[in-house]
Amino acid sequence: MIQVESLTKLYRGQRGLRSFDLVVATGESVGLVGPNGAGKTTLMKILATLSRPDSGRARINGLDVVPHNETVRKIVGYMPDVPGVYQDMKVREFLLFFADAYHLPSRGRKDAVEDVLRWSGLSDQAQSYVEQLSLGWKQRLVLAKTLLHGPALLLLDEPATGLDPLARLELRRQLKELNRRGVTMLVSSHILSDLEDICTRIVFIAEGSNVKHPQPVDGAPPAADESVYEIEMLPAPQARDVAAALPGVEVLYWSETSLRLALEGGRERIAAIVTALATAGVGVTRVQPAAGLESQYQRLFGARA
Amino acid sequence: MNPMIRKEMNLRMRERRGWILPTLYLLGLGATVAFAYFTATERSLGRANIQGATVGAATFLTVSYTQLTLLLILVPVFSAGALTIEKEQRTLGALITSLLRPIEIWNGKFSASLLFVGLLLVTGLPVMALALSLGGIGPIELLVSVFSTIVIVATVAAMGLYFSATFRRSIHSTAVAYGAVIVLAVVTLVVFLLLFTHWSSTHPGQPESEMPRLLRVPLYLNPYYFLTVSFGVAAGISRFEWSICLMVYATIALAFSALAWRSVERSGEQL
Repeated sequence: MIQVESLTKLYRGQRGLRSFDLVVATGESVGLVGPNGAGKTTLMKILATLSRPDSGRARINGLDVVPHNETVRKIVGYMPDVPGVYQDMKVREFLLFFADAYHLPSRGRKDAVEDVLRWSGLSDQAQSYVEQLSLGWKQRLVLAKTLLHGPALLLLDEPATGLDPLARLELRRQLKELNRRGVTMLVSSHILSDLEDICTRIVFIAEGSNVKHPQPVDGAPPAADESVYEIEMLPAPQARDVAAALPGVEVLYWSETSLRLALEGGRERIAAIVTALATAGVGVTRVQPAAGLESQYQRLFGARA
Repeated sequence: MNPMIRKEMNLRMRERRGWILPTLYLLGLGATVAFAYFTATERSLGRANIQGATVGAATFLTVSYTQLTLLLILVPVFSAGALTIEKEQRTLGALITSLLRPIEIWNGKFSASLLFVGLLLVTGLPVMALALSLGGIGPIELLVSVFSTIVIVATVAAMGLYFSATFRRSIHSTAVAYGAVIVLAVVTLVVFLLLFTHWSSTHPGQPESEMPRLLRVPLYLNPYYFLTVSFGVAAGISRFEWSICLMVYATIALAFSALAWRSVERSGEQL
């Protein structure tokens, strides 16, 4: 579905993409993960035909996105990181406008709008003004708009930004349902738990380039990482030094009440660490393996809070 | 119908300015007519008979120039913010990634701006008709002057849309659009006057009509000159000058439109 080869796009010689490669097969749901400024949005914009690459190639269904931008737009549904809406339009009117903008035939136009209204749960609010909707409902509306022309590929840039937990869960459910229906997805997000739930594969990006990382088996989402542990404790400023002094232990993150440790040897070492912490007067309240994607992210990008 | 035009008209008429502006416009125009009428009749007091034709012509000229001035003030408001507002509310990306072509997006914005100006012109027609009823001008003069006003306004709208496609923020594009209006309406006149003064001093005693056409170029760019020469078209006095102005304005409008289409196509980079 997506083939990206040596894609480069720089802004005033800095940031953007540098020789980035990506292949996404039809039906896949791929998460794009990287720190701010890594080039995720640049990639999305090039694939959505909003931006032109400096060099390299991006193809969707075999079509180069630059010369074939009009055909590509029929295949792609793009939801930007901060999607805009016409606040003074009614919900149904907003969708009807975009149905026209996607040149839907006049016969199927109203049906398509009613379908996405039903699917997104907006039917009851079809006559409300867009400005009256909460952020979560606006996000649903934009997703509904993105689906009007039945795209085979969805490009979602930070789709859950600003949503409350319930709205996020609902969005996850909707995206998984779309993927089950056969819609290919490329999703960029900083909410790694969402990506773990939605995506079948994760691609890491940093400074515009691919970041090598262990691939999950058979496209399964990465499981909890047994070599990275999160330890919660009563306030103990000495905990970091105690942990760091232990052989085979790397402190990935620490605060006064929590530690994230990478262990050589994995779970058999954890009992010794807890003992050492307890001996040093640290009141450990909880120990658990870190979520897989989060720990991978920390290892790859060396994140520190 | 282009969905952009329908959307623009719907949203524009929903805004408060959709009815406030025509009201203010009509009030301004009505006040000008009253002023022109009373000034013209006042001047004629004491004479044996007041010529309706003189009053009618004076009223017509005043209304035409006032109308053009009001429209030159209003058009940048509609046009220069038309695309920047889409950038500011982050909806331009959705338009570009839909199947609307850049020319359709531009056309929607341009037509909506012109249709609103058309609404203002139509609301002003009764005022113009009042001048017509007094005599002194004929329907051809009225039609040519209205047509010239539309061409001028369309050109300014095309320029405003280009600035709107180029800049990210409405405040910048509107400021530049007003700058362009000032250049057309004032700077061209000042440049022409300087050139004329210089030419007069080097060619003493020669009538103004002998002045080389090349030195008159700034005048052809001036909207008030365009309107002025339109009054003489029916009588065949200034047909050639009017045709040059028409061509100059049509060329400017086409050039800015082509540049705007290009900018809309590339505006995805700004998002």
